[in-house]
Amino acid sequence: VNALEVARAALAAAGGEAEAVGHSERSGLARFAGSEVHQPTLIENVVVTLRVVQGNRVGVATTNKVDEEGLAELAQRAKDAAESAPPDESFPGLAPPARPSSVEGFDDATAALGPDDQARLADTAIGAADEIPVYGFFTSAVSELAIASSTGLSVEQRMTDASALVVAAAEGCSGYAEQTSWRASEIDPAAVTREASDKAARTRGAGTLEPGTYRVVLEPYAFADLLDYFSHDSLGALGLLEKRGYLSGRIGERIADEKISIRDDPLDPHGLPKAFDFEGTPKQPVVLVENGVARGVVWDRTTAARSHNGASTTGHAGPVESRDWGPLPYSLVVEPGDAASVDDLAELVGDGIYITRLHYLGVIDPREGIVTGMTRDGTFRIRDGKIAEPLINLRFTVAVPDLLREVYGLTRTASLVNSQNFYGDRYPYGVRAPAIAAARFAITGVGSSPGI
Amino acid sequence: VRDLCAAAVAAATAAGAEYADARVVFKREQLVATKNGRVDRMTDAESEGIGVRVLVNGAWGFACDRRLTEEGARNAATRACTFARAAGGRHMRSLAPVEAHQGRHESAVERDPFAISLADKVDLCLRTDAALEHEDVVVRQVMVRARREHKLLLSSEGTEVEQTLTECGAGMDCAASRDGVFQLRSYPSAHIGSSQQSGWEYVDGLRLVDEAPRVAEQAAALVRADPCPSGITDVVLDADQVALQVHESVGHPTELDRVYGTEASYAGTSFLRPHDLGSLRYGSKHMNITADPTTVGGLGSFAFDDEGVPATRTPVVEEGCLTGFLTSRETAARIGAGDGGSMRADGWNRMPLVRMTNLHIEPGEGTLDDLIGGVDDGVYMETNRSWSIDDKRLNFQFGTQIAWEIKDGKRGRMLRDATYTGITPEFWGSLDAVAGRDAWQLYGLTNCGKGQPGQSAHVSHGAAPARFRRVQVGVKS
Repeated sequence: VNALEVARAALAAAGGEAEAVGHSERSGLARFAGSEVHQPTLIENVVVTLRVVQGNRVGVATTNKVDEEGLAELAQRAKDAAESAPPDESFPGLAPPARPSSVEGFDDATAALGPDDQARLADTAIGAADEIPVYGFFTSAVSELAIASSTGLSVEQRMTDASALVVAAAEGCSGYAEQTSWRASEIDPAAVTREASDKAARTRGAGTLEPGTYRVVLEPYAFADLLDYFSHDSLGALGLLEKRGYLSGRIGERIADEKISIRDDPLDPHGLPKAFDFEGTPKQPVVLVENGVARGVVWDRTTAARSHNGASTTGHAGPVESRDWGPLPYSLVVEPGDAASVDDLAELVGDGIYITRLHYLGVIDPREGIVTGMTRDGTFRIRDGKIAEPLINLRFTVAVPDLLREVYGLTRTASLVNSQNFYGDRYPYGVRAPAIAAARFAITGVGSSPGI
Repeated sequence: VRDLCAAAVAAATAAGAEYADARVVFKREQLVATKNGRVDRMTDAESEGIGVRVLVNGAWGFACDRRLTEEGARNAATRACTFARAAGGRHMRSLAPVEAHQGRHESAVERDPFAISLADKVDLCLRTDAALEHEDVVVRQVMVRARREHKLLLSSEGTEVEQTLTECGAGMDCAASRDGVFQLRSYPSAHIGSSQQSGWEYVDGLRLVDEAPRVAEQAAALVRADPCPSGITDVVLDADQVALQVHESVGHPTELDRVYGTEASYAGTSFLRPHDLGSLRYGSKHMNITADPTTVGGLGSFAFDDEGVPATRTPVVEEGCLTGFLTSRETAARIGAGDGGSMRADGWNRMPLVRMTNLHIEPGEGTLDDLIGGVDDGVYMETNRSWSIDDKRLNFQFGTQIAWEIKDGKRGRMLRDATYTGITPEFWGSLDAVAGRDAWQLYGLTNCGKGQPGQSAHVSHGAAPARFRRVQVGVKS
C-alpha cells in the first residue's frame, strides 16, 4: 500500500479543509536471547491520521482501515471531533505546499530484506559469539511517510533502516554494542557481537566505587542517550515556551565548553535522513549549541505561532503520539573533536571512570537538565590515563549542562546511535555522537554486578 | 472473525506448525487533552488486524496483517511459519499444558465512555483547566481518555475466547515557575493521570474540578518550598508512590522471562533466580504482594490472558518471602510450576509477553496519620515525579512531586525535589507498616514499556501508604 495514495484517499473522503498523514511499515525483527532467536516479529501496517479543520476548530482521527468504508468512517470521526472542539485562535493553519530537499535514506537492498534475511543476519550476530551468550536483535524495515492536504501540499518519503544490537552477558560480565544505518550493508552483525563480547570479557571481577564526582569518558552510546533525554525538555520549543527546559532564558548564553557544538541535522546522509516533518514542512538543520553558546531550539507550526516573537517552524513536528513534547530534534549531531580514540580520551582524563552504556534514565529536574540513571554493560575505572579494572553498575545523577561545561575532548569519529525502541509506528531516528571526556560526572550510588 | 482466526490456525498447522494461535483485535482509543485553556489534542484512533503466533520445530514465529480477510489471515500464518523456520534455535520450546477454554468476558461498565460526547469531554477538561488558574501556574494540562479493546483468540489446541475490555481515565498536571524554580503537581496520579477498566463513572468519581484548586495551590507553594535535605531518615510514602515502587521493584523482577534473561537486551533481567522461589527473603513480614487479574476495575484484568489461560489470583510475596512469579506457558513449563496466565500483547501487531496483570500490596492496619505518627524525624512523600532503576531491579532512585518534613509524629513544612534511593530487598526489608484497607487505592498505569519491538502495557496496582525505616533520602554527598 502506498502511503501517499492512502493519504490522498483520506483527504478526498474528508472533502473540505483537511490534512492526511499516511504512515506505512514493513519490518522484521529477529530478537534473540541466550544465543537463540526467541521473539521473531514481522509487522505490516499502514496508518492514516486525518486532521479536519472547520474554521479554527480542529479534529483528528486515525485508522488503519484504509478501504473506502474505513476512510469514510475516519472522515466522519475527524469531523465529529472538529465540531466538538472549541475555536482555537492560535491555530496556525495547515502547512502550505512545499518542495522538501531531496535526501538520502532509502536503500533498495535494505527494503528487499525479508524474514529469511533478517533471521540470517541475526544468526550471523549469534554465530560470532564466543563462550559468552548474546542477547539482542537484528531488524530492518521499510517505512513510508506521506502527507497530503487541502492546501495543495503533497509530499512523500520512503525510508529504510537497519540495526543490530547485542548484549553479550553471562554471570558477572556483560558488554554492549550496536550499529544502525539506513543501509543494511553498513551493518556488520558479527562485528557488533565481537565488540560486545570483547567488552563483556573485560568486565569480569567488577569492583565497587565510592560515590562522588569523577572525571569521565562516555562512549557514544552513553552520550547519545543522555542527550536524547536532555533534548525532550531542553532542545524543543515547547520546553522553552513553558519555561521548563534548560535553554529557557539562556539563549545566547554560554552553557557549555567551547568544544561543544550540537545541531539537529535531518538532512545528514550519515544519520537517518528526513525530508519533512509530520506537518509536511521541509526540515531544516538547526544550530542548537555553537561552541558552547546556546543558539536555539527546534520549532513546529504550533509553537512558532504561540511564540509571538517571530519564530517560524523549522520542520520538527513529530508523530501524533509524541505531540505532548512539542517539536523535537530527531536528528541530533554532536560535532566531533580531534581525539583519535577512546584511549586518547582516557589519557586526557587521567583518573576517572569509563562508561559504555546507560540504563533507565529519568529526568529529575528538567529546568536544570538533571538526569539520573544507571551505567550498564561495560563500566571501568580509568587510572593513569588507561582504561583499567571493571566496575559494577553505578547510579549517576548528572546535570547535563554541568557535564558539558568542562570537556577535555571528543573523538574525531561519531557513531549513529539508534534512539527508537520501535514502540508504535516505525519512525527511525537517532543521535550521531562522538565519545566525550569531561571533568564532572556525579556517581550517587552503586548497583549490581554486570551480567545476567 | 472467528472464521479468519480458524483459517489462520489451519494455514499455520498446514505449514508445519505444531502449535498456532490467532488473535484478532479491534481497538479504539479516544483522548482529549487541554492545555492552558485550549484544546491541545483531540484524537480518536482505531486499529484492527490479526496476529498469528506459531511454534514450528520448537521455534517461535509471529507475523501479522492489518487486513481482516482470509488472504490476510493465511498470509500472516505462513509468514510466521517462514520466520520460525528461518530463525530456529537449538532448543525445543514447550508449553505448560492448559485445558482448552471457550468463553466470553466483558468489563463491567455502567456508562459507556464512548457514549459521552467529545463536547462533554472537552467541557470537563476546560472547566478543570479554569479551576487550575493561579498566578504562579505557567502550564495547566487536563486529560481524559477512553479505550475499548475487543479481541478473539483461537488456538490449535481448541481455545476460543472473546473479550471486550473497556477502560477510561483522567488526570491533570499543573506546573508553577518562579525565580527559576519549576515544579509540577498532578492529580490523581502523575504520568497522564489514572485509569480503570470501568465506565465513565470512574472519571466522574475523580471530581477533577473540585480537586483542581488544591493541585494549583500546592504547585504554587512548591516553588517557594525548601529543597528536601539529604540524609538517612524514615520515610512514609503515599499510596501512589507505593504503587510505583511495587511496579518497578516487585512487578518487573518477578516476571519470569526477565529471570530467564529473555528481556536482557532491553528492559533488563532480574536479581531473582528460579531457585529463589519459596525461599528468598524479599522484605519484611509486612510485605504481602498479590498478582490478581480478577480485580474489578484493574487495567490488567481479564478472564483469559493472551494465551487463553484463565485469570487466577496468585500470591507473589507472602510475609516477605518470594512465593510466586509472573509466568507464560513457556516459562511455567521451564520452571516446572504453574501454568502461565500473565501473557499480554500490545494490540494485534505484537507478540504476547509476560506482563504484570494487577499487582497489589495487601493492606495492613491504620491510617496515613498513624504511619506519620510513628515517625520522630522523617519525610512524607507524595505522587511520583521521576523514576529510575537498574537492569536487575536492585538499585533504584525515585523522586516525588511533593514532600513534607515529619517532626515528632506531625507533618511539618513542605519540601520540594525529594528523592530517595535504595536496594530492593534492603528497602522492602525496612518496611514496618502498611496502612489499612480504607487507605488502599487502585492506580492504573498506561505506560509500562517492554519488548523489542516495544510494547506498552496497561496495569493496575492496589496500594496503601507505607512506612520505611532508615532510607537514603536525596543524593549521598
